Amino acid sequence: MLKTESRNEDGVDARLLADVAAGVEDAFVELYRRRQRDVYRFAFAMARSRSFAQDVMQEVFINVLENASRFDANKGSVRAWLFGCARHVVLNRLRLERRWTDDMPAATAEFDHDERLFTDQRIERLHAALARLPVEYREALVLAELEELSYAETAAVLGCPIGTVRSRLHRGRALLTAMLDEQNAAAAPVETSLQTREVCS
Amino acid sequence: MSDARSDHDRLSADLAQLRGALRAVDAPPLDEAALRAAVREARRRALAGPRARRAHRARWAAAAAVLVVVAGAVAVVLLGRAPSGDREQAAATAAPPVYVAAFQPLASSPRLLPAASYSVVRVRIPLSSLALVPGSEQGGTVEAELLVGEDGLARGIRFLQTDTMLVSAQP
Repeated sequence: MLKTESRNEDGVDARLLADVAAGVEDAFVELYRRRQRDVYRFAFAMARSRSFAQDVMQEVFINVLENASRFDANKGSVRAWLFGCARHVVLNRLRLERRWTDDMPAATAEFDHDERLFTDQRIERLHAALARLPVEYREALVLAELEELSYAETAAVLGCPIGTVRSRLHRGRALLTAMLDEQNAAAAPVETSLQTREVCS
Repeated sequence: MSDARSDHDRLSADLAQLRGALRAVDAPPLDEAALRAAVREARRRALAGPRARRAHRARWAAAAAVLVVVAGAVAVVLLGRAPSGDREQAAATAAPPVYVAAFQPLASSPRLLPAASYSVVRVRIPLSSLALVPGSEQGGTVEAELLVGEDGLARGIRFLQTDTMLVSAQP
């Protein structure tokens, strides 16, 4: 049932994209309405910055306008194609960002990580750790775990074999667990000392 | 082993929570007017693209045509090529000589046979050997062609027009 729904969704997206390629304005607006959240969420998950995600989303949809005719339905869904476009834009921007921030201290080198979006601190920490992972592991985790693409779709978006996706996911998870453990270990003594101070006062 | 398993499960659960939290993250509200303006702008750029390319191509073609004309003129001047009238005259000069007549059989030779094969040999004959031409003793020559049979004997002769003129020009 879910598969059928997803196939129908793909069909609608593909028709809209074909209309976009033919210059139908309404089709573009509709496609944007349907898929902007996917692109925005992917960029936000990758970089943990709203302004970054917004810029990526705009750039991706400008690319869609210019390259809609290049979409090949045999290679995957429109959603996966959009993730592919978004990935290129994200990687280019990250590369540029890194070039500009090379001289800055490591802690502030990537983005404005002070944004608090999740009330649950554990989830906030997980997202922060994810955003610090090397890009190849980060993008695999975001696509397969958070956007729930299949391994085949993830492989198509990343342009690598399925086996590579699996190994990147495995390695990414291991790194993420290690980072979270480190964070927990670092946070524990602070909590203890605070408690001690409260008792003393 | 069970620690690794529990770590894996815990991370899976946390990732599922993050997924849920991310689903709630909203993209900025849609500015439809700006979006439509972007579509029109992109379409305008796409249309301007081929037109600009065509104009660019036309400019290059015009420049190439001018270049060819200038190069031709320079070549004519530098190589000193004559105008077309002179060229025709030069072509006429270089043309093969016009023969005065067909081969004339030599009196003492055997008859010409149509089926036999012959060679044409061009020779320059001293005028002194042709007692017919007045002043031939002064050393002029005339060019002629001999028709020679397989046995090496000449069967016929004809004089070339150019040499006839040359002969008449000789003092």
